[in-house]
Amino acid sequence: MRPLHTVVAWAVCLFGTYCLAEPAFAADTRDDRVTVLEQKLDRSLKLIEQLTDRVKELEAQRAATAAAAQTAQPPAAVVAEPSPQTQQRLDSVEQQVTQLADAAASRGGGGAGVPLHGFFDVGIGNHTANNPDLKGANMGGLDIFLNPQLGEHTRSLFELTFEVNDHGSVQPDLERAQLGYQFSDAATIWIGRFHTPFGYYNTAFHHGQQIATSLRRPRFILFEDQGGVMPNHTVGAWLTGADRLPDGKLTYDFFVGNGQTISSGSIDMRSGGVDSGGAIYGGNLGYVFGETLNGLKIGVSGFRSRITDDQLAGRITRVDNVGVYFAYDTDRFEHIGEFYRFNDTDLIIRGPAHRSSAGFLQLAWRLPIATPYVRYERAELDQSDQFFALQNQGMSYYRAALGLRFDLDPKSALKLELGRTKDTDRVIEQWTDAMLDYAIRF
Amino acid sequence: MDMITALDSNRARAHCALFLVLTLPCVALTLPWTPAAGGPLAPAEHANLLDRLPQSWRDDHGQILRVPSLQGRRVFVTMAYTSCHLICPMTMQRLIDIQRDLDARGTNAEFLIVSYDPNNDDPVAWRRYRVSHGLFRDNWHFLSGTRSDTERLARLLNFEFWRDGDHVMHDFRIVALGSDGAWRGAIDSAHRDWQALL
Repeated sequence: MRPLHTVVAWAVCLFGTYCLAEPAFAADTRDDRVTVLEQKLDRSLKLIEQLTDRVKELEAQRAATAAAAQTAQPPAAVVAEPSPQTQQRLDSVEQQVTQLADAAASRGGGGAGVPLHGFFDVGIGNHTANNPDLKGANMGGLDIFLNPQLGEHTRSLFELTFEVNDHGSVQPDLERAQLGYQFSDAATIWIGRFHTPFGYYNTAFHHGQQIATSLRRPRFILFEDQGGVMPNHTVGAWLTGADRLPDGKLTYDFFVGNGQTISSGSIDMRSGGVDSGGAIYGGNLGYVFGETLNGLKIGVSGFRSRITDDQLAGRITRVDNVGVYFAYDTDRFEHIGEFYRFNDTDLIIRGPAHRSSAGFLQLAWRLPIATPYVRYERAELDQSDQFFALQNQGMSYYRAALGLRFDLDPKSALKLELGRTKDTDRVIEQWTDAMLDYAIRF
Repeated sequence: MDMITALDSNRARAHCALFLVLTLPCVALTLPWTPAAGGPLAPAEHANLLDRLPQSWRDDHGQILRVPSLQGRRVFVTMAYTSCHLICPMTMQRLIDIQRDLDARGTNAEFLIVSYDPNNDDPVAWRRYRVSHGLFRDNWHFLSGTRSDTERLARLLNFEFWRDGDHVMHDFRIVALGSDGAWRGAIDSAHRDWQALL
């Protein structure tokens, strides 16, 4: 008597042999089906040819009838016009076909799902881009970008980043999550978490470094968790749009949202809701030049926010900010300048307003082989203003930078930057950065 | 007894190995298999693509361009938008190169430049673009259509694009159609040689 495992082994072997034979049968079946389909196709083609000939014949007859009717007096007017009902049905079918095609187009290919896009960059240098205490190779953020089209008017945008913090651990962050309703080209309302529309840079460029010309953002408008001192994100509602003028375009933004708080030395936009403090609200008006000064945009922006902090319960600092900006963006140049004034008040003490300012000017030249750029930044931030004093990076500074961007292909860029930074209050120190960054999008 | 058990065990292992040798190729044969792409994506190489494109576009003169009117002519199609300053200038330069080579060969072709951003690229914007870039040839048509027509054309000719605020993220791509409206080839970031398409 054979042991059981031997019997089992023979059984599976026989099963394997059966499996080997099965594709052969399947192949035969496929061949048969292909033959049948080919025959059907041949018959269909013949039928189409016959129908085509018949249509030509009928058209010839109709033309002859029309010619005869034209020559005969009085005209017989017997050419078959479609009845109103038939015409109505034809129109209805045509409309349905168009709607189906449009719906398929708006779904982006039907069944393909939501396209996944993203950005990533990796750098190396004697300092990292945003922290002078670190050096060597460093990973930037993996920025996952989704903007599914939900309907004719409904818009959505999600930006999920995986960032490496100063301790080397990876942190996910939902940087933007906004749902919008587009009334027309002139007005879209967004609700959710969005980039606060102050100035130009903050809404023109996001966490993906590949789309920005420079290697890093101006320091004072770095994102909140990277050391920026501006409320770059707002959770609330945002009305935005543009109106065409005879020679240009007027752009506008109005927004309102949760007032931020300063927590552990950085700005928290309070995505989960507000328990104390107040709101942030503001707007941005811009003008995009048309024929004359084509490529130039100028604008003004402002916001007011009531900001709490984790150092003194009940303290609210009212932050008033106004800014002016320009961007000159052409095939040859990308020049950007922004300047902001702060006028902040501690609403508990009711003392004098604290005035601060910050700005930058960046000039870039798009040459055939590379894009060199220079940038100068300056921030004079009042250290008696709790809004800045409580932020880890809320010190005054200046920075001069010289950079070079190589576009290796449309989806990847190599950037070099040499910068000199000096902190001018709190702790006075200065350093030189030499960095390289490889940024891609997909 | 131990020896017999060991022999049986070895035999069972041999049978299992034989089973694997026989069945694994069968499993591999039954798996779905997709051939690797060998060149720029060709949506339907033998179809008359010109017939399948959205048929009506507005040009930079404000006139309607009917695609069927291009039947019988060779056509180069690309997509661009007027406020693009990174990739589109490269695309225009490549179209200029193609036009120069066609002229040298005494060959005619129509160039269709379709906007990725029809909301902003109206005839005035395209006209301004044409003038500022010195692209005055009559066979160059700067076109805008409806959003759905734009997406349909992009899908038919494999122009991948997506919106990121004011930016339109897209690639460098030019599609060549023959005088029969059929696919001739495409130039993109990975396939830059256009001589074969002339």
